[in-house]
Amino acid sequence: MSEVLQISNITKSFRGNAQPAVQEASFSLKKGEIATIVGSSGSGKTTLLRMIAGLEIPEKGQIILDGKVINDTNIFIPPEKRNCSLVFQSYALFPHLIVRDNIYFGKNSSQNYDLIQNLIEITKIDQIQDRFPHQISGGQQQRVALVRALAINPSLLLMDEPLSNLDRELRLNVRTEIVSLLKKLKITTLIVSHDTEDALAISDKIIIIEEGMISQVGSPLEVFNVPKSCHIASLFGQSNFIPFENLDKKYKHFILNEKNEKVISVRPGQLKIVNELAVDEDLLCEGTILKICLIGLHKQLTIKCKQFVVNVNLSNLTDAIIGEKVKVVFKKNFFRYN
Amino acid sequence: MFRVLKNEILFKLNGWTFVSFIIGLFIIIPIAFVAIQFNNSSENWHHIQENVLYKYIYSTLILVLGTGVLSVFFGVITAWIISFYEFPGRKLLEWGLILPLTIPTYIAAYSYYDVLETFTPLMLWIRNNISFSAMNLFNDFMVYFVTIIVLSSVLFPYVYLSTRASFLMQGNKLIESAKILGHLPGQIFWNLILPLSRPAIVAGLSLVIMETLNDFGAVEYFGISTFTTGIFRSWMGMDDVGSALRLSSYLMFFVLLLMYFEKRMRGNAKFDQNDDSSLTHKRLVLSSSKSKSVLVICLVPLMLGFIIPVIRLSLWSISASKDFFNIELMQIRFNSIGLASFSSIIIVIVSIILLFSSKYFSSQIIKITNQFAVLGYSIPGAVIAMGILLVSAYINDITNIIITGTISSLFIAYLIRFLAVSSQPIDSGLEKECSQINQASRNLGKTAFHSLMKINLPLLKKPIFVGAILIFIDVFKELPLTLILRPFNFDTLATLTYDLNKQAQIFDASIPALIIIIITTIPIIFLNKKLERKS
Repeated sequence: MSEVLQISNITKSFRGNAQPAVQEASFSLKKGEIATIVGSSGSGKTTLLRMIAGLEIPEKGQIILDGKVINDTNIFIPPEKRNCSLVFQSYALFPHLIVRDNIYFGKNSSQNYDLIQNLIEITKIDQIQDRFPHQISGGQQQRVALVRALAINPSLLLMDEPLSNLDRELRLNVRTEIVSLLKKLKITTLIVSHDTEDALAISDKIIIIEEGMISQVGSPLEVFNVPKSCHIASLFGQSNFIPFENLDKKYKHFILNEKNEKVISVRPGQLKIVNELAVDEDLLCEGTILKICLIGLHKQLTIKCKQFVVNVNLSNLTDAIIGEKVKVVFKKNFFRYN
Repeated sequence: MFRVLKNEILFKLNGWTFVSFIIGLFIIIPIAFVAIQFNNSSENWHHIQENVLYKYIYSTLILVLGTGVLSVFFGVITAWIISFYEFPGRKLLEWGLILPLTIPTYIAAYSYYDVLETFTPLMLWIRNNISFSAMNLFNDFMVYFVTIIVLSSVLFPYVYLSTRASFLMQGNKLIESAKILGHLPGQIFWNLILPLSRPAIVAGLSLVIMETLNDFGAVEYFGISTFTTGIFRSWMGMDDVGSALRLSSYLMFFVLLLMYFEKRMRGNAKFDQNDDSSLTHKRLVLSSSKSKSVLVICLVPLMLGFIIPVIRLSLWSISASKDFFNIELMQIRFNSIGLASFSSIIIVIVSIILLFSSKYFSSQIIKITNQFAVLGYSIPGAVIAMGILLVSAYINDITNIIITGTISSLFIAYLIRFLAVSSQPIDSGLEKECSQINQASRNLGKTAFHSLMKINLPLLKKPIFVGAILIFIDVFKELPLTLILRPFNFDTLATLTYDLNKQAQIFDASIPALIIIIITTIPIIFLNKKLERKS
């Protein structure tokens, strides 16, 4: 597959801020790939997206879209001449235009009549075409913004926090709809999100950005299972950081702190407890159950081992008693990426 | 800095930004020309410096201080009563208190022309029983006292409007919290509401001070020598443009200093609690006796600033030699309406071009030139007029084109002076309504012109309309600029009122004065109703 977007060493600073908003960012996207930039607030993810859209000018670095340089030291193609479209977090629908006029607003969109009709049908917004944006629901507004962005047949679709304004139930529906639509149309898409659950659900590739720097790029499972830092591991939920020195050297590890302590990240759901060790099971440690906490459909056990404390998630049906001696072993799914 | 310049020149330079930059420079140049005249040497400067400069500074400071303090007193008290208490007549007073804005300072002064005369017996008594110098001292005191009251009574609505808006924006939650913590209403006002409204009070006060410095008609009528009258006297009386320019540059630095202090005082403070609870602002219902007291308090500035001048002018108009529909007056009325309407259109178009270019292309250079271009509103009309005369003389020297004394010089002057008036609503409209959807429009491949016509203009109809009406009112009332720059034999209602009063034709002057008040009152009431409905 050919690369649609190539970003090399992009840097951007804002006046008054000592640290650059984005620093030496590099990654690429292949045709039809859906990637999500994940990071906490102020990490620079939206700035990066706006630079690709042409709404911010980078200080240095290069952006290539469809094989054409759109940003370089002496080149800046303005947003209206780039073949990429952006779905804004607040959707930015034109409030004085009805849905149909919003959709057909983009450059040359009238030439894409068949594509637009197809999109309207898939997204089920044909009944609301004569309404104004304030007369439709949040989910419908989201779909209209998406269809408007796709109506100009862009090489690259950019989406800034596309699901953040929707309630949980609607978000799950829209999330599924978006992924199936983008996959069907084979649209290369770059999404910005602070929600790791969304990122894991919709992406082919996840790009982690921390304090303006890209710290990890990989598939959702890779990033989830083998994070490159404590921060990345924590972004995707609770994790145990187990000292590497006592483990089998086959595990992928990272450096925890300035003292060069090496650890591996193991999610509570990737561990289980046994009384007797089977032949194909890898023992992590032996210890005593300190605490049992009920969390919805599962219970979390806090187990004190010799050198560390570890959390393990078990089904509610599993019996466990505080003070009981147990063996903590890795589940099979842990080894897929380790 | 270098990076910003590189981005501006390499990536953001286009037809829009280029034209905006040129317009911005065109507006800034006359002001900049005055600013560099602070060392201008002229034949009369020595005389001015030795004999009258001290008086100009002293009089200007007394007027600014007195008018500022009294306007804040009138404005804050009335805003407080209207915002926090319920009493019969409150709703009427709420918009009635802005009516003094329709009375230009010079017309207010003319309507009180005989007030000082009432003190003549007292002054004679002082001369006969104390001393001649004591009488002079008392006379000076009374002149300043009356001028300050006249100016404050028509300028206090600036403080009233900004303070009232701030009071209404303060969240009820804060007031309720203070009540729960055991504070009495008086304590809440002094310790909570007033400090929270400080930025709004300072904003209103700064407008009062700018208008006081700009005033020419009222101070000249009461015989007070301020910087503005000094500029007129140097240029028209002594035919000394150099001294007039030097005085203008001093006045301009004084204004810039004031603006600096205003900015420092306000800082970045923005204390308004704009939460939903502010909409349920509860007013305390007053007893009958207290209602009468607050009614009187609110009526004092309204009587002084609107009711008395209008009644007196109306009574005088009965004795005037010409009626409202006199042909000569119709022609002058047409001049004023034409000038104000055409200026509104030009200034609004320029505002749209400058603000749209700056925001649409995120151009830092245009943003900076725009910030300088709107300074004109703070600079007295006489100073702007001197700047235009100076630039016109240079242009005349180089190209032989005469601008001085033409209608075009008036339009340019109004553009410089009133650009900020339309820029303010259009700028906030652009920021609020169009900021992100302009980016969406660009991102969808549309040109700037298409985005302006199809997105911005339809969405900015209201702010554009508000800006145009405000400029119309300001130009319609404007005196010092028009007086200096008008073409020969060209009169507006403002200049006619001034000329007739100068010739002591008080009765005849009341007719154009009343027309000014009537024509500016209608849009002000209309705008207020619209804003009320919106809030």
